[in-house]
Amino acid sequence: MTRIGFRLALAYRGDIIMTCVSLVAQVFLLRMIWTSVYGSRPAAAGLTLDALLAYLTLANLQSFATQTLVSRTIHHRIRTGTVFFDLARPVGYLRQMAAFQVGNTLGGLLLLAPVVPVVLLVGSITVPVNGPGYVITLVLGYVIAVQLALLISLIGFWLMETGAIHLLYRLVSQFFAGTMVPLAFFPGFLGALAEILPFQYTGYVPAAVYVGHISDVSGPVTVELAWIAGLWCLLALTWSRACRRVVIQGG
Amino acid sequence: MIRVEGLTKVFRRPRTFSGPFGALRTLVTRQYEERTAVDDLSFEIGEGEVIGYLGPNGAGKSTTIKILTGILTPTSGTVEVNGLVPWSDRSANARNVGVVFGQRSQLWWDLPLIESLRLVGSLYDVPAARFETSLRKLRDLLGLDDFLDTPVRQLSLGQRMRGDLAAAVLYEPPLLYLDEPTVGLDVLAKEAVREFIVETNRAGRTTVILTTHDLADVEALCKRIILIDRGKVIFDGAIDALVDKPRRLVVTLESQPEDVRGVRRDADGRYVFDIHGDLPGMIASIAAEHPIRDLSIEEPDLESVIKGIYTR
Repeated sequence: MTRIGFRLALAYRGDIIMTCVSLVAQVFLLRMIWTSVYGSRPAAAGLTLDALLAYLTLANLQSFATQTLVSRTIHHRIRTGTVFFDLARPVGYLRQMAAFQVGNTLGGLLLLAPVVPVVLLVGSITVPVNGPGYVITLVLGYVIAVQLALLISLIGFWLMETGAIHLLYRLVSQFFAGTMVPLAFFPGFLGALAEILPFQYTGYVPAAVYVGHISDVSGPVTVELAWIAGLWCLLALTWSRACRRVVIQGG
Repeated sequence: MIRVEGLTKVFRRPRTFSGPFGALRTLVTRQYEERTAVDDLSFEIGEGEVIGYLGPNGAGKSTTIKILTGILTPTSGTVEVNGLVPWSDRSANARNVGVVFGQRSQLWWDLPLIESLRLVGSLYDVPAARFETSLRKLRDLLGLDDFLDTPVRQLSLGQRMRGDLAAAVLYEPPLLYLDEPTVGLDVLAKEAVREFIVETNRAGRTTVILTTHDLADVEALCKRIILIDRGKVIFDGAIDALVDKPRRLVVTLESQPEDVRGVRRDADGRYVFDIHGDLPGMIASIAAEHPIRDLSIEEPDLESVIKGIYTR
């Protein structure tokens, strides 16, 4: 299944190339906007312009790299009834789908690799302040992102039409991951909300570790592990309920 | 191989409302409507049999197959497939079963056929050596070589079906469910599918449950059929027993008497005789009394019998 996900990423390379283009464009635009917002001010909310740009670039890069095709795939397979075959396999459904996503991400990374230097250059990013910490928080954040995507996808077993939910989820998760505006700029209650939600671990937290805004990773890593464990239970529970709900389209 | 007893599946879904705000009411309703898809079904299937599992659209055929594969849990009743209860021993049961749906494919649309076959190999833990032997055999049997590296979306329906058949038997399951495997295929492709089923059944003693609306498939492949309608078994036995009717002689005469040897003229001016024993003698004795203009012999066929049952 990992292999299928990987091959599909390569099969849809047209998509990925467009993604690369839009990634570069987005980073470039963000740079222009924030540069003009900052004007001659040295720092805002404790972030210098350089740190801010580095942070936003990274957050976007991560968010593109950890995009999940799996929810789209699950949605499609439920609608067309091909989910039947996934369910008839001796391997658990969620395991298959997670493997699919991992393969897909690896394939996506391979295609994303050429633009990484460009993006880093545009975002004027230097070497990470805390390399190992960055990798750990990012990988754990990725696990959370996949779990969340799977969880959202399972709604498809209750509602046949989930396109709008996916769109909403994408919007909310991107926003609260801090890929548009750094979480440090969020006002009071919005900031508190972002603090509570898990999305920051897919964007803000690893990027902040990279630029050195967060120096001690033990706190975030603990919370990430707790999220992973919690989501794991939630997924298992939701899945066992979804199993009972299975109604396959047609036939 | 398969033992089904008192199998019942009732689907429960929220009542749908029509009219203004109907969709909203459907969403929040606590009222449910129940539909019995399979109703107290019982049958047994032995190892190596090829069974025609027939019934009109919506009779409960696919529901039965979904229960037998362990995807649906029945409301009541017991099922044993190769000694396992499909829905509680799901993973073990899955290894025993291959499935082909004519109407949908398990192949990955955007990837070359071989990728889907490799996926099946890895999901069912087929060791590399066995995978290669199995694949080589299937390549010969189904002529896969021409399109093994072609993305599935570019395959013709016949090629796709052959790919699906290969994916279903790659791990050599002792049981094969085929749901309309010849739907939409041309004569040659249908023939290829039938030959494949015969070969798989013969070589590996594979038990086959075949659901189809093409009764020529059934006549070519199955000795026994199970006929269901509205979730109930209405016939279970040899095809011969179902079509156990005499052949009929249909005669048009030069003259049109009211009756000939006790057979009345039908609306088209023909006389229809049941044939018992000596056919030439029968024709000769009719011809001796009345000059014959035309005659034909009607074989009882499965299609007319089943049509008769469906419309009953």
